[in-house]
Amino acid sequence: MQIKKVLSSKEIREIEAIIEKNYGCKVGLHNYRVFMTGEEKIWIASKDIDFGIFDVLKRCYRIGIYFGKLKRNRKIKLSIEGAMIVGRKATKNVVFIDEKEAIKFIQGYDVRADKLINAEKNNFVIVKCGNAIIGTGILRDDYIENLVPKARRIVKIDS
Amino acid sequence: MFRERIEQMIPDADAFFAAEQEWKSIRANTLKISREELLERLQAKYEIKEMPWYENGFFIIGEDIAKNMEYYLGYYHIQEAASMLPPLVMEIERKDFVIDLCAAPGSKTTQLAMMMENSGVIIANDISISRIRALTHNIQKAGAANCIITNYDARYFDKTGLKADKILLDAPCTASGKIIKNKKMIEKWKYWRVKKMARLQKALIKAACNCLTKDGILVYSTCSVEPEENEEVIDYALQRFDIEVEKIELKEIKTRHGIKEWNGKKFEWATKAIRIWPQDNNTEGFFICRLRKC
Repeated sequence: MQIKKVLSSKEIREIEAIIEKNYGCKVGLHNYRVFMTGEEKIWIASKDIDFGIFDVLKRCYRIGIYFGKLKRNRKIKLSIEGAMIVGRKATKNVVFIDEKEAIKFIQGYDVRADKLINAEKNNFVIVKCGNAIIGTGILRDDYIENLVPKARRIVKIDS
Repeated sequence: MFRERIEQMIPDADAFFAAEQEWKSIRANTLKISREELLERLQAKYEIKEMPWYENGFFIIGEDIAKNMEYYLGYYHIQEAASMLPPLVMEIERKDFVIDLCAAPGSKTTQLAMMMENSGVIIANDISISRIRALTHNIQKAGAANCIITNYDARYFDKTGLKADKILLDAPCTASGKIIKNKKMIEKWKYWRVKKMARLQKALIKAACNCLTKDGILVYSTCSVEPEENEEVIDYALQRFDIEVEKIELKEIKTRHGIKEWNGKKFEWATKAIRIWPQDNNTEGFFICRLRKC
């Protein structure tokens, strides 16, 4: 894993500000070590991980979990786990779908929203079904574009 | 030959060969959901019962337990009941520095991350890139942010110079304890495979002992029932390193102690290690031994 940059407190605050602007909530990324790899991918790891360890551990494949990808237009495409962290408090760009649509969403299909919370068109949205945060999508004119990675989809799913 | 060996090990060999597993087992991922909430969600879909020996473990009956929303969300991990035991005997603390030497596909790694509440550090190592992909997927899905995945040959991991408070060596093995799930393994059983694995396991435990801090704990486990892969490996380490076996005590699960004598070799310490036999709890067979560096 090629770490491009370990973010300073100031840089973490900038990411938090982008999250706040997009999702209307404060997320305490300071509880994690935050770093970036190529293509502006953001990763989070336990604060107990001392990055000095990588002077010794040369064959490092992955650190922590993938949080999301920073886009040029100062928006963040969150991973499922990133959405789960942000989505608990999010008050903006949140969409609710019903259980039937949630099944389709997990299968990888685009779905129709049941309810929108301050959601902007053509923006990334956090997708919820009841209390569960099930991922992210892009809100289009009359549907939610599915952003569930192929590896996470369950094509045949029980309702 | 396999049957004769089992008969030499235990008086109830017939029960060993007849053991069947009706229930599958899962572990709640408390990094994402409380066990109570998961139980409530799954009770609506499956027949489910609590695992007596581990609060976050459940037995479940139903087809396609990997095809529902809770599984997709990483609320639980499908994990063999007996394989939840090695992390439980590691005396894990939140801020520990842990090495999981043969980590893929990550069931025990993610269990450790959960027990550490995403604090501390876990080095999750595996030699195989294809297995590391599965490990990566499972760690991401579990939301385990305290893991560093490395790709070393664990036999030489000590060359990194890293020392850890706790090490899990769930060693590659012939998996003869999985007979409860796969009766056909008897036909494929070969003694040379046992010997080959034992050689590898000895090299692995050597590296593990070299990576332990003073007072550090090493838990060695396999899902094999062969003494060559278990008691003999521990004996090999005891003869070469300043380590001692600590007694393992587990509640609400039937355990037996290790084999005390095999092929003319005596293992006095074996009463402190445990064996889980498939016929005792309807789980896979497991050997678990806890060692402490003096």
